[in-house]
Amino acid sequence: MKGWMRAVSLLSIIAVTVALALGTASGGLGYVLPFPGVRDLAYWFLFTALNPSTPLFTVMSPEAVTSIVWDYRGLDTLFETTVFFLAIIGSMALMRGIEVVKKVEERTYQIGMSPIVKTVTRISVAAILAVAASIALHGHLTPGGGFQGGAAAAVAPLLLIVVFSVYFAVGSHINKKNMLTIRTIGLLGVGLTAFAVLIIGVIHGVGAYVFQNQPKATAPIGLPADLFGSLTSGTLILFNFFEFLAVAAGFTIVFLLLSVPERRVMEILEGGEKDEH
Amino acid sequence: MISQETLIYAVMGLLGIISLVAVYMAITEKDLVKAVLYSAIQSTAYAFLFYLLMAPDIVLVYVPVAVGLYPAVILFLIKKSERFEGEST
Repeated sequence: MKGWMRAVSLLSIIAVTVALALGTASGGLGYVLPFPGVRDLAYWFLFTALNPSTPLFTVMSPEAVTSIVWDYRGLDTLFETTVFFLAIIGSMALMRGIEVVKKVEERTYQIGMSPIVKTVTRISVAAILAVAASIALHGHLTPGGGFQGGAAAAVAPLLLIVVFSVYFAVGSHINKKNMLTIRTIGLLGVGLTAFAVLIIGVIHGVGAYVFQNQPKATAPIGLPADLFGSLTSGTLILFNFFEFLAVAAGFTIVFLLLSVPERRVMEILEGGEKDEH
Repeated sequence: MISQETLIYAVMGLLGIISLVAVYMAITEKDLVKAVLYSAIQSTAYAFLFYLLMAPDIVLVYVPVAVGLYPAVILFLIKKSERFEGEST
């Protein structure tokens, strides 16, 4: 397409969008604006999220979003996590048997980008991991949580793969097997945390629920809301930590699979059966 | 005197238009690497929009996914296939 035609169509799209926005904002569809105040449902969440005076409803976490995600509707989040991991299992099944072999020579350190980029990456990888851990482990106190922290942490191995080459990453133990182990630990942790209060309840002979956090009316047990005086919000910090591990390792597996050189993939696909004999 | 609220809404409108332009450029661009960059510009505008809409949780997941991981996945795929749209190998 010619340059002026692109400019004309872009300008007309902007004009239509702005006209539509102005039209609706000035009452083109009638004034059915959302209620400007805090709604009843939101008020309930804000009132109970961190409120020791309502012990049967509180989550003991000042972060209402994480409270909703991992406590009020924890089962939803469990299935969201499951969907994410089914996607990763699918990509691993497609790329089964295809892996980069570790190069033992010194040359591994010479491939990749220039020393300047490598030095900057070394510093920023440490910073990224620190920020990611902070996002995940403070998920019950400040905005953030396991998925957010895990996605941020997954940028660090991605940088290593792009800047230092995939051989360096595999050489420094960021390989499929280790990531799979971390991911499995994370998933097991999420599953066990979901049943933690139920298991404690069975041991003590008290009624308890799956995905229970703080004591409820018919189930008078729960995980401690604080540890040595600092707020941990019962199951929330455990969920965030294990989800952090699982998401970071899951994304890293995908990047390891994508960064296998195409030539190597073809080699394995063509000569796969010969190697076994 | 413009009130602070109006100013924030104006900035949000501006960010919306920036993202619209970036999306248009990304769709019509034939060089897919450039298209990914335009897409990242759109993601940056959206990240600011989410922040102004008071959704910091979404910002924290949107920034690494939409600015870091997603362009990386697309760039890996472009490297494995072809860089220019309509090119035949």
